[in-house]
Amino acid sequence: MEPNLGTIVRSISIGPNREETGLESLQFREEIHRLMTVPPENGSSFTELLQLPETQAMELLHSAHSDEVVPVPLSGEPLHGINDDHKSYLPSFNGNLTFPSNKVLIERAAKFSVFASGEHSPETSSVPSDSSANLEKVKSEPAETDSNPNSSQLLVSDPAVNIKNQRSEKRKEREKKGKGCTKKSKIEISQDAEKLPYVHVRARRGQATDSHSLAERARREKINARMKLLQELVPGCSKTFAMQISGTALVLDEIINHVQSLQRQVELLSMRLATVNPRVDFNLDSLFAPESGSLADSNFHSMVSPLLWPEIPFNGNRQQHQQQWNFDALHRPLWGREEDNHTFITMENSLLNYESANSASLHSNQLKMEL
Amino acid sequence: MRSPSSLKQEFLKRWMRGLQRCTSSKKDMNVLERKKVIKLSADLAIASARNGTTSWSRALIANASRDNDNRILAERILGPESDILIKRVSTSVGTVSCNRKIRSKKILKRSCNSVRRVRKGTHLPQKVLAKSIAKRLVQKRTQILKRLVPGGEFMDELSLIEETLDYIAYLRAQVDVMRCIASATELINHMNIGGNKMV
Repeated sequence: MEPNLGTIVRSISIGPNREETGLESLQFREEIHRLMTVPPENGSSFTELLQLPETQAMELLHSAHSDEVVPVPLSGEPLHGINDDHKSYLPSFNGNLTFPSNKVLIERAAKFSVFASGEHSPETSSVPSDSSANLEKVKSEPAETDSNPNSSQLLVSDPAVNIKNQRSEKRKEREKKGKGCTKKSKIEISQDAEKLPYVHVRARRGQATDSHSLAERARREKINARMKLLQELVPGCSKTFAMQISGTALVLDEIINHVQSLQRQVELLSMRLATVNPRVDFNLDSLFAPESGSLADSNFHSMVSPLLWPEIPFNGNRQQHQQQWNFDALHRPLWGREEDNHTFITMENSLLNYESANSASLHSNQLKMEL
Repeated sequence: MRSPSSLKQEFLKRWMRGLQRCTSSKKDMNVLERKKVIKLSADLAIASARNGTTSWSRALIANASRDNDNRILAERILGPESDILIKRVSTSVGTVSCNRKIRSKKILKRSCNSVRRVRKGTHLPQKVLAKSIAKRLVQKRTQILKRLVPGGEFMDELSLIEETLDYIAYLRAQVDVMRCIASATELINHMNIGGNKMV
């Protein structure tokens, strides 16, 4: 049990470096030795285990108060830093810090972590002092614990990543079985400060096991699922496997290239349209009229899509502009407001008045070209 | 998901309408102005087609209305819907300013994290080092992507990816439609020229 705990807790305590206080480290070393003598039991007795150093926790409590001032600025960062896997477990309790008993629990937990990893004691020695400082940061903390339950709920209820959900849940179960711990879900963790199950959870190699990292993992799985979708969307991307992080980087590269190329194409095409058409109108009737002999081969798609919507968009315009359209042949050179309205003549109209329309547009185009 | 053809139709319809509204005022424009107008109306068309459901569309409209000279154009192009859309966009602008605060905090945290990582890097085994390097690569690329997608700087990774998906679909539709129209117009011009020559 002890070496397992050691591996677990070592992974947890790879946290951000804090300021060391020599006195505290000395104290902790004593605690470590005291704790080492206690025979550890199975997960259900974790609370009993915690109860043992209670007296020492009370001592720590009093001693930690003196160090409140020092690590305040430092602890500010890790509280906001959800993204780091190796953050300490502290932020997971932030929502519960309104009760003084929780502080005791935190310190128990802190010492518990210190117990297993002697070499990391300098890092974690400042942890209880940070916990005291954390009490002052109650405001920001509930926000983070709120995000945790939310993300966990998302994890549970998202149908698109069911497979991922199952996988993560299996992992959770594995972790549970590891120590027979009581960790059911992140929601329970945030609400149930008594059990402190995170220590019992068997961590994967190089990963912390706090609720934050679980949320992080769930998030990452979602991201990977979306990345797969993106992979399918972006051409030429299916070869790279996206599950590894390096794969993710490559996929992101492809995505960036694709987006950039598409944006460039849009620029070029808009330039092209601007040059092709001296006036910013496009005679749709002439474009899609049944001079389709030449057009159809190259512009099949353009024919297809307008064929689908001849009625819908232009119905409103049709009635207005039919009258005006009759003047078109007369008022060809007049590029006034009416001319703009004529561009939305439907295909039927263009069929009937094909020649006049064409001649009108012909002349209009010629004029434009000369400009 | 929306079908791509319906997306294109919707886009084309709005675009043409926007162009029509825009050109009704100005008669002669040089090439650059035209290009700007075309692009702007295309952007606004698709953005309005989304009705502010996606954040990048809102950002596009917000950007368009930010510059004063573009603003009038944009409002005209959007037409009667502009009021509703701009209201919707302005509500999201408030979140943008909040996001800025979050962003600055994130930057601070990130800088501290990088410092910490450097310090830790010497102790960690190879695998974790590689992981951290890969993480950094991914972060760099996400930053680039954030710059590319409009309104992307203030989003977290997950929503960024969703927005990118949407945005890519939109860009594709836009490119297809524009290409069709461009080639069609060019062909007609060629034909007209040829026809005139023959005459």
